Amino acid sequence: MGKYILKRTLNSLLTVAIVFVAVFMLLRLMPLSGYFPQEMLKETDEATRMSYLRNQGLLDHPMVQLGRFVKNLFHGDLGRSLTVYPKVPISTLLKEKIPVTAAFGFSSMLIGIVLGLSLGMLMVRFKDRWGDRLGTGYILMVRAIPNLIYLFFIQVWVSLWFGLPMVFEKNMPSSWILPVICLSLGSIAWYALWLRRFMVDEENRDYVKFALVKGLPQKEVWKKHIFKNAIIPLVIYLPSDLLFIISGSLVIESLYAIPGTGGLLTTAIKNQDNNLVQVIVLMYAVLSVLGVFLGDLLIAAVDPRITLTED
Amino acid sequence: MKRFIAILMTLIMAMSMTMTAQGEDLAAAANAIIESKTFERTYDTNFSSSIASFNYYSTNLAIVREIVSNCIDGLVEPDIYGVYVPSLAESWETNEDQTVWTFKIREGLKWVDHTGAETEYELTAQDFVDGIRYIGDPLNGAYSLRVVRNLIKGLYDYYWLLDDIDCGLVTDQNREDVVKQFDEMVGVKALDKYTVQYQLENSAPYFLSLLESSMLILPVEYEYAMALGEDFAVDNEHLLYCGAYYVSNFERDKAITLSANTHYWDYDKITLDTVEYQMIPDGTTSLEMFKRGMTDYTSVEAEAYDSLVGTEWEDNLLPTSHSFSTNYLWLDFAGENTEFKTFINNENFRKALLYSMDREVLAALREPVDPARILRNTINAEGAIYDSNGKDYTDYSPLKEIKETNFNNPELARQYMEAAIAELCDENGNIKGVEPATVDYLPVCSFDIDGKLPVTICYVGTDDEDEIIMAQLFKAMIEDSLGAENVDFQIQAFSGWTYGTVADPLNYDIYFDSLSTGYADPSGILTRVTTDGAENVGRYDVPEFDALIEKALAAKTFEERLQYFAEAEAYLCGNGFIIPFISSLRGYYMSYSIPYTSPLTLYGNTKYKGTLVMAEPITQEESAVLEAAYEVAREAALAGK
Repeated sequence: MGKYILKRTLNSLLTVAIVFVAVFMLLRLMPLSGYFPQEMLKETDEATRMSYLRNQGLLDHPMVQLGRFVKNLFHGDLGRSLTVYPKVPISTLLKEKIPVTAAFGFSSMLIGIVLGLSLGMLMVRFKDRWGDRLGTGYILMVRAIPNLIYLFFIQVWVSLWFGLPMVFEKNMPSSWILPVICLSLGSIAWYALWLRRFMVDEENRDYVKFALVKGLPQKEVWKKHIFKNAIIPLVIYLPSDLLFIISGSLVIESLYAIPGTGGLLTTAIKNQDNNLVQVIVLMYAVLSVLGVFLGDLLIAAVDPRITLTED
Repeated sequence: MKRFIAILMTLIMAMSMTMTAQGEDLAAAANAIIESKTFERTYDTNFSSSIASFNYYSTNLAIVREIVSNCIDGLVEPDIYGVYVPSLAESWETNEDQTVWTFKIREGLKWVDHTGAETEYELTAQDFVDGIRYIGDPLNGAYSLRVVRNLIKGLYDYYWLLDDIDCGLVTDQNREDVVKQFDEMVGVKALDKYTVQYQLENSAPYFLSLLESSMLILPVEYEYAMALGEDFAVDNEHLLYCGAYYVSNFERDKAITLSANTHYWDYDKITLDTVEYQMIPDGTTSLEMFKRGMTDYTSVEAEAYDSLVGTEWEDNLLPTSHSFSTNYLWLDFAGENTEFKTFINNENFRKALLYSMDREVLAALREPVDPARILRNTINAEGAIYDSNGKDYTDYSPLKEIKETNFNNPELARQYMEAAIAELCDENGNIKGVEPATVDYLPVCSFDIDGKLPVTICYVGTDDEDEIIMAQLFKAMIEDSLGAENVDFQIQAFSGWTYGTVADPLNYDIYFDSLSTGYADPSGILTRVTTDGAENVGRYDVPEFDALIEKALAAKTFEERLQYFAEAEAYLCGNGFIIPFISSLRGYYMSYSIPYTSPLTLYGNTKYKGTLVMAEPITQEESAVLEAAYEVAREAALAGK
């Protein structure tokens, strides 16, 4: 197992390095005009713009810039934002934004798992009856209707009916309710859909029929066999959710004015904030690789049939 | 409450003293409205874009400008009529040709920190010198330096010498030595502890307005800023304040609180204890929150306007008052499309374009209720620049005639088009000297031209829904007026539209942009659109215009200067080198603040000093009465300034 972990760790590091260097180099292919807002492009002459770029180190050879970034990284310096939040240390930005997004992410993930799994079990328990139809209706609604429509409806009308704030305010607990609900809607549907499917599959397997014929109580078969086996394929995705917790939701954070990381990468790319893009990409690459890695370890831990090594 | 009454009485007296008999009635009505109100000490407003940082030298974001203008005072400030009055400077004087401006600074003022406590740093003339020192160093990355760098004596040479040293072009001078020579090289001096003097390269009768509009001339506590290095102004805790407010709370991308500065030199004039900003990312949410009393201000875009008509809020809808930004069509005189290039360099064709559009229809996209109020035929806005007699710059002839011309004249447009065709085409519709070719406007588009009529025109816009509708209107109007057999107007909605991908590399024939009057002088825009000007992205050649600009810059009096500028601008607009058509003004607003109680900051920086905020939103009727009284009083104030 130790050998496996070491091998996977090295592979993961290599993957992260390749992704990071590729993105770093691609960013340097972008046009120099992209570093300036339109107004500034119009109001400054080229000599002033080049002077600015040179002073920011952006005219240095890409390998020199890469070396400088890696060196600073090893000293714990992530650099400063270039265009989105000029001169603000990226570490400060992340310290401010990640906790907010993570708090919403964890809350919604928890709600998604609890309510999603409960709904999935309800659908199986009342298969082809009211519980199943209710769950299917919910899943269809969440997945088929463009999310902006119901998210906007919730923000405007639900907030009005229940007297809830329309935007997030840090010191007002009631302002957390609607964004957390909105963030959870998709994951509730996802967990319910797949748990139902996997449980129905397990229900029809021979070992379940055999256990019931042998006289095991249905409750025990459900709890110890069907649910336990159905949940295994879902477990693998739990660590990957780490990335979604940190990266946030562009739409919901924007709608509720949550000062988190949702949309930060998009904004940074749009504004050609190389420093910010490369740090976020690095962070996401590490989290993605870590998520997959932990997922593999977790599934091996919960399913004794799966081994990660040849031994 | 006593302070409120005192302020109200001052307002009343100020208005009353300048009134005629009719004005007195209006003032009485306005006073009656104000006296009937109760006032709040907090104003809850909102913003929609990220606060990058508070470094006022390196950003031009509107929300940062607004916060800074409330937190860092300049030497002068406008009063409620837009007349400049003392701020950090108690008094000022200028020499005869207005190239040297000397300001006497108030004594005994201290910078305060983000808790509102006084620091050990005294505000002196040196802080204004150091502001220029800060922006003069290329390493500090000051934003939009052009105007100030070219105006203050020696600053241009100082900046570029440092830059040449930084990039190795100058090796026989040492950076530190040059920095030490700042005081000798650059024309800004602290004559004594409380007197600062600016020596300018050219006569600048508009200098006071530049002090209002440009954040580059604000003071800085240099020792403090240098000690912080790159951390200077990255948040509210890394900034010192000398204005009516300080930023007591800052949550990035979320909330900002301005608290009244109790050490402020003009503290008695502060009418709001706090101004709370919260981020509301879109207009719909902002409007909904306003209706629920969760914010004191909301803008109302044209599309939301209709939803409020007939509701209880209709009476609170007020039109936004002014915008000095002008939307215009920019034309490509040197692009690859030789069909368009041949025609656009022809005066008759430019005039055909000029008269081909119904600008009111275009304006209705932004202002469906009263489109005429946003029409604009000039580049510099009406109401932005006045001479010493209070005469508006756009009332100088021949610009006045351009301003008042109705350019919606399809018949005339067709006549000009036919004249252009007669000059540029043979009898078979072949455009003389133009061969079939493929025009490469990539990454925007590429298309074939055949060297025959109709002239292919490639209009490039963004993929914004409103802009696409506007482009379709351009197409319909131009093809209708000039004849679809004569022009083929093609629309390219380019999703990656940026200045760097479309305008700068000439990947267009026509595009839509804006220019803004930044201070009280036409040179702010007009010197940028000369043949060699940075803003001449269409690369036209206009020696007649250039000559008039030269004359304007060399004029002996401000009136003479404005006259030449007016002639130059009329030449440019009247001959269709640039086609301005509407102002950037859009929409309506609803607010709890009383109009005309804040300083009239013409160039974009809202100030809350003196702003009165009520317990209920202002109505149209109240606003109309206040406006009528205000206009009479302002006219008198401008005439007597």
